[in-house]
Amino acid sequence: MPGAELPLPLEGVRVTDFTWIIAGPQATRILGDMGADVIKVENESYLDAVRGADGLHNNFHRNKRSMTANLHHPQGREAVERLIAKSDVVIENFSSGAFARMGFPYERLAELKPDIIYVSLSGYGQLGRDSDYGTWGPTAQGASGLTAMSRLPGQPPAGWGYSYLDHTAGFYGAIAALMALWHRDRTGEGQHVDMSQVETGMMLAGVPMLDFQVNGRPYEAIGNHAVHPAVAPHSIYRAGGDDRWIAIAAEDDVQWRALCDALGAPALAADARFATNAARVAAQDALDAEIEQRTREEEPFALAERLQARGVLAGVCQTIEDRMERDPQLAARGFYRSAPHPAFGEHRFEGLPITFSGARWRIDRGAPLVGEHTRDVLRDVLGYADAEIDAMQAEAAV
Amino acid sequence: MAGPMEGVRVVEIGDLGELAGKLLADAGADVIRVEPPRGARSRHTGPFVADRPDVDGSLHYMALNTNKRGVTIDLATPAGVAAWRTLAASADIVIDAAGPDVLDGFGAGYASFADEPRLIWCAITPFGLTGPLRDLPANDLVSMALGGIVMMCGYDDHELPPVRPDGEHSLNIAGEYAVAGMLAALLMRSRTGSGQLLDVSIHEAVAGTTEGAFMNWEYLGRNPERKTGRHAGTVEGWQFQCADGKWAVIFGGGVPRDQKQMDALLTWMDEYDAVGDLREPQYQEVMYLRPQEGGDIRHHFVVTVQAFMKTRPLEEVYRRGQACGLPGAPVNQPEDVLSDPHWEDRGFWATVEIPGASAPARLPRAGYRFTKTPVEFRRRAPLLGEHNAEVLA
Repeated sequence: MPGAELPLPLEGVRVTDFTWIIAGPQATRILGDMGADVIKVENESYLDAVRGADGLHNNFHRNKRSMTANLHHPQGREAVERLIAKSDVVIENFSSGAFARMGFPYERLAELKPDIIYVSLSGYGQLGRDSDYGTWGPTAQGASGLTAMSRLPGQPPAGWGYSYLDHTAGFYGAIAALMALWHRDRTGEGQHVDMSQVETGMMLAGVPMLDFQVNGRPYEAIGNHAVHPAVAPHSIYRAGGDDRWIAIAAEDDVQWRALCDALGAPALAADARFATNAARVAAQDALDAEIEQRTREEEPFALAERLQARGVLAGVCQTIEDRMERDPQLAARGFYRSAPHPAFGEHRFEGLPITFSGARWRIDRGAPLVGEHTRDVLRDVLGYADAEIDAMQAEAAV
Repeated sequence: MAGPMEGVRVVEIGDLGELAGKLLADAGADVIRVEPPRGARSRHTGPFVADRPDVDGSLHYMALNTNKRGVTIDLATPAGVAAWRTLAASADIVIDAAGPDVLDGFGAGYASFADEPRLIWCAITPFGLTGPLRDLPANDLVSMALGGIVMMCGYDDHELPPVRPDGEHSLNIAGEYAVAGMLAALLMRSRTGSGQLLDVSIHEAVAGTTEGAFMNWEYLGRNPERKTGRHAGTVEGWQFQCADGKWAVIFGGGVPRDQKQMDALLTWMDEYDAVGDLREPQYQEVMYLRPQEGGDIRHHFVVTVQAFMKTRPLEEVYRRGQACGLPGAPVNQPEDVLSDPHWEDRGFWATVEIPGASAPARLPRAGYRFTKTPVEFRRRAPLLGEHNAEVLA
């Protein structure tokens, strides 16, 4: 593979990974892709709830190793404590306070490894009156304001058709761990990072929050239109085929005339209702109807190419099938890469959207089986002898 | 105390990296935003203070440029290029979000910094620096469409178009990935002494951020169908309007996951004589079923619970539901969260001066709370060219 000889940016970083579902695993996925040795600690009696959703689990846990440990057995607990002592970062996304109740408050982690970086990721955070509230991606999105911002005017909130804030919380979890690593490398000081998933969403709604406070304007749904700045057309239009749609925007008069030209609609270009951007914004519903009349029978990819060739902003609303099977850009850049998994075989994975000139990212293999690397970790990382490991396994300590 | 990135200098140019620069600036880095003399695009975007368009009055700019310093440089002049070269060479990281080849056109791109081997240069572009679409223009709408988020969001009624969530999320996602990459490159530079080029593709960032879509196609050979207020493909409704007309969302529709939650929920419903037949044994089994199981039993349970909740005001649905262990939440307007005391308990809000407004305003911080390196807000977003003298002198 070209570039295989390049180093991994996070070589030498070890992460003890107590994450599950998606938000935490997204954080450690990024760290693992960039070369950290991510060791997921699991227990067969309380498995990750997305084990079973095989493709989902495989995609979020690629590159990671799995070791099982029974925290109710003294030797199992000792093995985990020795792993923490050999780690740079500990990440978990249990409910607020749960990891401390399992015997691992930050103070204990710092006893085991004085400069440990501990990232706890929960819905409402570890601190505050509602910190014990449960969240999932969709409820965190609702609480944060992001659901309300995904809505067509006159319709109920549409929200996000998946757990966007699980991804987002994971991104910020990775960022926080890396910032804390940077600080540790300069000062020798570790710390606890208390993360709230709802906050990661609220942070992305700062502009409407300011508009409300400064101008007294409550948020109003804009759907697929553009309000700041107001330009038209700017929307999603039906194309030919079963549930096919295309995004089209013309940000100035030149693009507007090019759009009319590409649609073969000189009458539209000459229509006084749409002569200027201000006029088009004012008559946006009529404008959208006129455009959709001309897009609804068009093959979407051919139409997008025709518009793009004339400098109009346009793109097909791609399905996952489109992205994986026909997107020329994702294919050319090798965004989807294959790797093996012991049970599911060879599959593609979503890549990291960063190409480094002096480093590489990796998808060396799929997600680990439960406990697949227990022996490797105990022996190679923690220094247990094979006979000791046999005894611990016989007692179900690991 | 200072944020974790204190001592790192970042120079940011272009319009696609505002969030990336902000995250580093809020965390303590010295981020210098370089703008053309007329100002960055978001200065012209709004919304504006009192709705008066002004380069120093954009709330968009103010939200996304906190803690940065700002300078104006005209790259069309030799003096401007010289100033840029001096400034960029002084940085640990350059965020180049001006578009592919734009800086090269002024002789100011990454290739011209070959004598600065420690420099980390992070290009954030719509499609990346290579590939057949690299020069295709895009905006947030197009990036969200091509990257696949749009087809995941919308309504059960497919006569309605899919929805592009508002908030420039294509830039958010790319910016977040870019920051992770820049931090990794910084850590790597400590080991190797060398900087490098990071090529961040907005298209890839969006395309890799649609959760279960990937698994549906790669493993199951199907395209998930968008649904109103819940995961694409999910059958039961999760989102409903409460007695006061406000919206709530309850993950999984309101099905308890253990006996304690079940008892608490039915006790709550009993208070309003709304429990119906849910105490019958077949409905008690519902908590043991996986989400895709249960058919009519699950459906009846969810419909009965939600019919009850629709008779209660949102605040009760939220608080009492959480007390029962049901993971639910209000569908808040962005402004609703400003008065929720939980976030005050956490010290979440930054208070920021708003030039031209009568009072300072609350801005959200990022969702991490560092115990040793707290993220302090040092300054509001810069006025146009505010730091020209101190930075470029």
